[in-house]
Amino acid sequence: MDLPAGTRNFSYAEDMAIFRTKTQWVLLFVFLAVLFTAPLYLANYWLSVANLIGITIIAITGLNLLTGYCGQLSIGHAGFIAVGAYTSAILNSRFGVPFPLALISSGLVAGVVGMIFGIPSLRVKGFYLAISTIAAQLIIIWVINHWTEMTGGFDGMNVPYMSLGNLTFRSEGSQFYVIMVIAIVTLFLAKNIARTRVGRAFIAVRDNDLAAEVMGINLFRYKLLAFFFGCFFAGIAGSLLAHWMRFINSESFTFSSSVLFIGMIIIGGLGTTLGPILGAIFIRLLDVGVTRLSPALDKALPGLPSGFTAGISPLVFGLVIILFLIFEPRGLAHRWTLFKSAYRLWPFSY
Amino acid sequence: MPEFLQFVVTGITVGMVYSLIALGFVLVWKSCGVANLALGQLTLISAWFTYAMLDPSEANLPIWLGLPLVVLFAIAMGWTIERIVLRPLIAQPILSLITVTLGISFFLEGVVTIVWPKSLARLPRLFPQQPISIGTASISYESLWTVVIALALFGLLSLYFKYHRMGIAMRATADDQLAVQACGVPVTRIFSGSWMLACVLAAFGGVLVASIGGITPGLTQTGFKAFSVVILGGLDSFLGAIVAGPIIGLAENVGGGYLAPLTWPGVRELIPFVIIIIVMFVKPYGLFGEHRIERI
Repeated sequence: MDLPAGTRNFSYAEDMAIFRTKTQWVLLFVFLAVLFTAPLYLANYWLSVANLIGITIIAITGLNLLTGYCGQLSIGHAGFIAVGAYTSAILNSRFGVPFPLALISSGLVAGVVGMIFGIPSLRVKGFYLAISTIAAQLIIIWVINHWTEMTGGFDGMNVPYMSLGNLTFRSEGSQFYVIMVIAIVTLFLAKNIARTRVGRAFIAVRDNDLAAEVMGINLFRYKLLAFFFGCFFAGIAGSLLAHWMRFINSESFTFSSSVLFIGMIIIGGLGTTLGPILGAIFIRLLDVGVTRLSPALDKALPGLPSGFTAGISPLVFGLVIILFLIFEPRGLAHRWTLFKSAYRLWPFSY
Repeated sequence: MPEFLQFVVTGITVGMVYSLIALGFVLVWKSCGVANLALGQLTLISAWFTYAMLDPSEANLPIWLGLPLVVLFAIAMGWTIERIVLRPLIAQPILSLITVTLGISFFLEGVVTIVWPKSLARLPRLFPQQPISIGTASISYESLWTVVIALALFGLLSLYFKYHRMGIAMRATADDQLAVQACGVPVTRIFSGSWMLACVLAAFGGVLVASIGGITPGLTQTGFKAFSVVILGGLDSFLGAIVAGPIIGLAENVGGGYLAPLTWPGVRELIPFVIIIIVMFVKPYGLFGEHRIERI
């Protein structure tokens, strides 16, 4: 479909390849080269934006597996990210577990917590599940705020730098490499989960879970597996977030950020590999734009009410989510596909 | 147990506020099939609008003029939300419908922050100040009126759905949209009607809860607690909402009141959400909810 004219597949491996043509390989290497030399010429501010985008991509790739592919709406993703962040922070700073091990275990712990809160998904779906994940989020944050000996409660806790053996990642640029490598691995894993048996089972469950069960898909297994994968990536992202920000408290994992994650995958495109990337970039850059523009606007137009700078970002995000759902429910990924096919056929679009 | 009676009285009155907000949710769910997650924000913005109408430093209107204006505001808000946001999304998957109400809640929160940047305020007194005492407990006029208004609205709504032409049409729409359309019922009018009613209910809830505890950002939390009422009572049952409200209120106040010294302070905020999870595991369709059997 998306291949240039004259490209034919003669084997299954060719048909399944992510990068099929020489042009795609060249573009991939150019992209990777640009990405991995970025710390050389980007300012620290933009590197930190890129790092946040990378972490967000990891987190919402998980959410996309859970919501986009398996159709299990979770509005508590920030809660699961918080589980990962605190697991890693506590293991690393209180028990001296090395960072790579803490990273993996935070993914596993978040995955298991997600599975526990995912058990209701077996009997309920849609709105009921949405509410129980909201409850999960609020319960997790409550526990973090009140388990003071371990988590530092409302005061939060300090987290050491990421490190690998004797190597400590102190600068924004070195953390960029860690985060981007993990983000690329995550995307690769997610792409392959989505197109193997597991992913196709997820899609069957999303489209009609009764029909999927009749076809021999074990609903219990696959729904819990979706929760595990979704929350595993959330945990990894949480661990990276904790070691990147170097200070965490429950303020970083609010209900609003959960909603924003849902908004990101919808804006990016549900159930696509590209969706989380586009969604994360779009929303994070919008955030940067709003936080940079609104003080300037405030100064330029003195008639604005005093709550303008604080209130403009929820207003804009709410508006963007609503507009996307009404006008482009398939997200930016769909736009990208349209653009690609238009560009491929140009100038003979018929 | 001198404090027991007080916990019970507070629990029931607070629970009735939750019921009131939950009724608005059930109404929209029953007739449009939309899960409205913006309850808390609708309550919050109505409370602030009431403040803007009644407070001496703002419009300073008399109560007989201000409160009807609040109702008009709620009706206009309900109409706008339905017409602009939800009408284009008819027949979309439930995921979109839930997320769009979350978008609405973000938007409303932004509006509230921009228009009323001070995050705390008190409504002027609507009722007499002197509390009534029952034994060792005391109950304020606000709380008493909350209970009365919630029960009255419940009665009115039940009658409306049972006997009024529009109410019957709403129930029919909830059951089968296509069939109802074929019978000549204007489905879109029913949708906007139920959204307007739901917003009015949220406005009542907002005014009452704000006159008891003042206007705080915590009003959005009240919205979350209304969800636990809806879940416990069953999504499509007015009776469920009115029964489950006081249960949640009692669990929160009595349970929280006695558990807090034994366990952690602040345990009462957790109780409604633990109840949600327990209900999900044990009886997901709630006390009075209809268990729909799905067919392929």
